[in-house]
Amino acid sequence: MTQADTSDVLIDCRSVWKVFGDRNAEAIRAITERGLTKTEILQEYNCVVGVSDATLQVRRGEIFCIMGLSGSGKSTLIRLLNRLIEPSLGKVLVKGQDIATLDAAALRQMRARHIGMVFQSVALLPQRNVLENAAFGLEVQGVPRDERNRAAEAALAKVGLSDWTARYPSELSGGMQQRVGLARALTSDPEIILMDEPFSALDPLIRRQLQDEFRQLTKDLGKSAVFITHDLDEAIRIGDRIAIMKDGVIIQTGTAEEIVMNPADQYVADFVAGISRLHLIKAHSVMIPAEQWQGSVDGLPRCSPEADIDALIGQITETGSDAIAVEDAGKLVGIVTIRNLLLGVRGDADATPAAAA
Amino acid sequence: MEISALIARFDEMVDNALFWLGDHAAFLFDFFRVVLEGLYDGALWLLELPPFYVVALAAGLLGWRVVGRGFGLGIAVALLACAAMGLWPETMSTLALVIAASIIALAVSLPLGVLAGLMPRLDRALTPVLDLIQTLPPYIYLLPSIALLGYGPATALVATVIVAMPPAIRLTSLGIRQTPHEFIELGRATGVTPAQMFFKIRLPFAVPSIMAGINQSLMMAFGMVVIAGIVGSGGLGETIYGAIRTLDIATSIDASIAIVILTMMLDRLTQGAARPRKGARK
Repeated sequence: MTQADTSDVLIDCRSVWKVFGDRNAEAIRAITERGLTKTEILQEYNCVVGVSDATLQVRRGEIFCIMGLSGSGKSTLIRLLNRLIEPSLGKVLVKGQDIATLDAAALRQMRARHIGMVFQSVALLPQRNVLENAAFGLEVQGVPRDERNRAAEAALAKVGLSDWTARYPSELSGGMQQRVGLARALTSDPEIILMDEPFSALDPLIRRQLQDEFRQLTKDLGKSAVFITHDLDEAIRIGDRIAIMKDGVIIQTGTAEEIVMNPADQYVADFVAGISRLHLIKAHSVMIPAEQWQGSVDGLPRCSPEADIDALIGQITETGSDAIAVEDAGKLVGIVTIRNLLLGVRGDADATPAAAA
Repeated sequence: MEISALIARFDEMVDNALFWLGDHAAFLFDFFRVVLEGLYDGALWLLELPPFYVVALAAGLLGWRVVGRGFGLGIAVALLACAAMGLWPETMSTLALVIAASIIALAVSLPLGVLAGLMPRLDRALTPVLDLIQTLPPYIYLLPSIALLGYGPATALVATVIVAMPPAIRLTSLGIRQTPHEFIELGRATGVTPAQMFFKIRLPFAVPSIMAGINQSLMMAFGMVVIAGIVGSGGLGETIYGAIRTLDIATSIDASIAIVILTMMLDRLTQGAARPRKGARK
């Protein structure tokens, strides 16, 4: 993985641990000095390791998904990023600042201005109407009513709820409530939005719709997001990069394509087995070097390295050609044959190039 | 030393302590007496300022607005009936006692309940005290108060205040403690100050519980105010006490009806005021 310019790393989470239990201080010492494992910690100290040695970086403009089943530590991890939970060990830097060193007032400022959060439970205040809920973040910052209401109205308009400002949360459907939750996070205009399983409680159709809207909105506004989910499909739909967690450990971080093509272990492999490759795998992953192609390149249809398998199949069936030439900025970079496509659909494109037609 | 001697010694100490207080802190209790009676007299003066039909009409309108039309009409008629029974001054003086006692009780118990809600240790320390207050027979409180404050409304007020405080303290503390966890987390993640956490998040969720506490305190105050007739509280309690001594069953029933009317009126009014506004339900 290439290291991005450090100024573009908004959240830098370095070897963070979280141990829960009465004797967590002793447990942490045992981990650092004796290298005890999770099970040993549970047996010897009766402490639960929630997050174990988690390292991740969230870059500007990126949607970073953390995927894991319940109990994998993903909800603990996201709360470590804005210090709702104090880490037992390790460092979290937000915009280059170690948040463990912030005093109470500075931490409030950080949360109020730079890190928005959206919850699975939505947590809309039932005594307040939609507009007042959306304006809550600015209200606690002491922004005058007119100004904060204007910002809240703008945020509600972005999530398509302009007509509902005077309603109360109990009058809204689950999907609409979560839109308000998102609008509330957007009203304060933070650079980073933490999304804690926001769509998990919604029905599948609404969830799909919100996933697409969320991704679009985040990209349009240039926000960065950390998105927690237990659903790999959701992680793939939304995330630029995905971290997969199991038992408190991040076992793999990468783009959806990297994870599907090269699962780090059997656990990840089992997870990605059922995922459709059609939109995930791009031409550059399945193509073979142009030299291995014996035929003429001139007559072949063209595509970009980022074209997905679905688009390539479309081109092949429409033109009747046996192969497609992959061009990057007008330069030939490789060839995709029907055989490559089939292997790509099956998910083992890596094994292809040697035996090309 | 023998047990019986020990106990005799303990009783003697309690008596001596009361006498000592009476001798040495008289100015303090005189001051209490003036404050308590002033509050009571003020409330009574306000209630007796307008003629009875104006008070009945005002109560009816309030009942209509807070609870409903039928209820408003009902209490207006019921209050007129109190006047028709010839018990209007007593009814108003009982109401004044309850109002004065509740104001004092709530002024102490609401802040105390909030503190107990925020500080679990204070809550644990208060619980046995409140248990004690609520298990002792209520007229126990009349004795020390009569020793220190003498015969009259001030004594009735003190005993009533003591009895009325526990429900408000308990339910306020409960309401403050029971803020749903996700809203506490919302507050923290939004960067609220501790004061904002209390006023914008904890308090709104506690309001129904606090209102229930106020309602229960009022009901306890009514019960005590009647018992306090024994110490010359004035009002319907004294009417009933007098009727019992002369076996005047008819008068005691009239006064009881007036008490029931007052109690129901305040109960429904406070419950009505506690109901959440439209749309604010979850």
